[in-house]
Amino acid sequence: MKGMHGIIFSYEKRSGLRELIEHRVHGSVPFAGNYRMVDFMLSNMVNAGVTDVGVIMHGKCQSMLDHLGSGKSWDLSRNHGGLTLLPAFAYAERRETAGQFRGKVEALACMLEYLREIRQDYVVLSDSDLIINIPLGDVLQAHIDSGADLTAVCTAAPGESHDTYFTLAPDGRITDTVYDVYAPQGYRFLNLFIVSKELLVEMVSDCAAHNQYSFRYNILQERGRTMKFYGYVWDGYAARIDTLQNYYDRSMELLDPAAREALFDPSRPILAKENDDASSYVDPSGRCVNSLIADGCDIQGNVENCILFRGVRVEKGADVRNCILFKGTVVHSDAVVHHVITDKYVTIQPGCTLIGSGNYPLAIARGSVV
Amino acid sequence: MLLAGGQGSRLYVLTGDMAKPAVPFGGTFRIIDFPLSNCTNSGIDTVGVLTQYRPLELNSYIGNGQPWELDRLDGGVHILPPYQSATGASWFKGTANAIYQNIGFVDLYDPEYVVILSGDHIYKMDYSEMLRRHKETDAACTISVMEVPWSEASRFGIMSVDDAGMVTEFAEKPKEPKSNLASMGIYVFTWAKLKAYLTADEQNPVSDNDFGKNIIPNMLKGGERLAAYEFEGYWKDVGTLDSLWDANMDMLSPGSGLNLLDKKWPIYARTPSCPPAFVGKFADVGNSVVTKGCRVSGEVKNSVLSYNVTVGRGAHVAYSVLMPGAVVEDGASVEYAIIGEGAVVGKGARVGGVPEKAENPDEWGVAVLGPHTVVADGETVAPKAMLDKTHQAHQEARA
Repeated sequence: MKGMHGIIFSYEKRSGLRELIEHRVHGSVPFAGNYRMVDFMLSNMVNAGVTDVGVIMHGKCQSMLDHLGSGKSWDLSRNHGGLTLLPAFAYAERRETAGQFRGKVEALACMLEYLREIRQDYVVLSDSDLIINIPLGDVLQAHIDSGADLTAVCTAAPGESHDTYFTLAPDGRITDTVYDVYAPQGYRFLNLFIVSKELLVEMVSDCAAHNQYSFRYNILQERGRTMKFYGYVWDGYAARIDTLQNYYDRSMELLDPAAREALFDPSRPILAKENDDASSYVDPSGRCVNSLIADGCDIQGNVENCILFRGVRVEKGADVRNCILFKGTVVHSDAVVHHVITDKYVTIQPGCTLIGSGNYPLAIARGSVV
Repeated sequence: MLLAGGQGSRLYVLTGDMAKPAVPFGGTFRIIDFPLSNCTNSGIDTVGVLTQYRPLELNSYIGNGQPWELDRLDGGVHILPPYQSATGASWFKGTANAIYQNIGFVDLYDPEYVVILSGDHIYKMDYSEMLRRHKETDAACTISVMEVPWSEASRFGIMSVDDAGMVTEFAEKPKEPKSNLASMGIYVFTWAKLKAYLTADEQNPVSDNDFGKNIIPNMLKGGERLAAYEFEGYWKDVGTLDSLWDANMDMLSPGSGLNLLDKKWPIYARTPSCPPAFVGKFADVGNSVVTKGCRVSGEVKNSVLSYNVTVGRGAHVAYSVLMPGAVVEDGASVEYAIIGEGAVVGKGARVGGVPEKAENPDEWGVAVLGPHTVVADGETVAPKAMLDKTHQAHQEARA
């Protein structure tokens, strides 16, 4: 069967997201007012005509399970195919060690039975914390046209030293792969790639048989020496969120209309789960500038340079600036809150002052009363 | 059974291409979301929606009923258009006839009681409370009523009730009302009784086949027990442009009783996925609602902005209702207006005006642009004027 199958990795991994992942895995961290991070990749896949998506999860996946449900928000609730949740415990007996997956290939090896049953010729695989709006159909076409064994999406935009970097030949072939380098150079891998189903199953079985678990070492580096791996250079908006600081920075970036237009291209809509809040209300005493406001908010105080998720209330006299307030946050009257990220259902008491800094935002854990 | 077939001719250009219940309301909703959500919240899981006039938009909006949790294995929401049968075909002649023609549908589910609803009211109501009263009083029909000011009573169907709240008399738009309890057009019937009266009414060739004009008076005459159920809370018939504008403005006044942020009785809607609203650096938003997908760079006061509305820099919007996808370009001014879905007000154009500045107060009114109407840059649309997308001014007198 022609077409692409989607696989999203949403298991626990080391990360600097601190309070935001106390109760959840990366992919279900709220982002941009009314989304979870995984919504972006799910929407990319669905917008490219993908009908079958498997989500590999492990660890604190309760919030991810809640969020995905039957997949109907992304039109993935199907009689055949659709969304398949792949929790690690179903395959636990295959694994020798408990705890986190040592790498992507190990995670795939645990799902080998699932991979064998894939109906489509190609598979697109991605992390769940990549914020991007990319036409995956174009990437697949490039993969087919180049005759590559594997096509990895990468960007010229610089990143961290622990990221993976490619050296590309003029025709796009990956000639070298490096990571944990002192000075990053070349094209940064976005942890998004396309490979044929057949080759995927073959590589994963072979790796499993040799106790190999690392995608970037055992596949990109080792097999990349002999196989044809190509880079697909993406020059649009892409954000990989792995620290609180870059969560904050990449969120605030969306207050810039150009970044927002690139990410929220109406021809490839990003589909959110919840859609039935009433509109937000700005009270006569409220003031709201340079901010993103999701539905269901009640703004009676001052809101400046903020991202408000659904159902946030800012009471009279409160002063909220440069903040990201998750769903259901209540800022009571006369509180002063600057450079703060509040998780869901946080309450800031009347008159309370909470001030973080642009290069060290404060994060308040879910449900806290401050 | 939800009566949604009306043309809504008094909404003029707004209902040129769609039935009244499909008209957007209050930022996120369409009018029909209110009765549909009330049904869901009241525990009703089978709803028939009777459509007739321009049903395309309404049909696609309701779809499988999923936003209202009415996509059920058994029951759920059903669209019921007029249909052809062996003896011929006919349009729904009146509200009662519409139900008569669908007796087969109701019988399919064999219910004991049927609730009859209108598709043009904005309110939150627990129909199960009304049904409870219906059962307690052992009535054949229970009519939801509310107190209206005596001065307005002659515009409504007025019920006189005894001490126990049973209806003793019904008068449609009486010149000298004996009571100020007005019928809200919401009925609970014992299905067997209703079926008998519908069938009898159908035999009468001069009947209007209407609930208010025929069925209710006939039941009273026939000695049936009719109970009044007094409703307290916000309720508004949004059948006219002015009442539609009023009801939208009620969202902005805390004292009106219309609080859509209240989660205790949620109103559901089918809306597209869009990013959150963006309120720009130079925007000035006060006493207004904004909805996802909006981009606001200008001044917005006392207004309702539906999803995907754009208000450009230096633009000024006051006391207006902007329906989904409406665009007010840079420097334009919109005051006391209803801007239909996808309509565009060009740069520097002016739509509507404040009543205080009107030379002749009788000629002032809310200006209305129909869906997808384009007002060219610098053009002026006077207060009380109506334009549709063909730009033919509608001169008919507005009530």
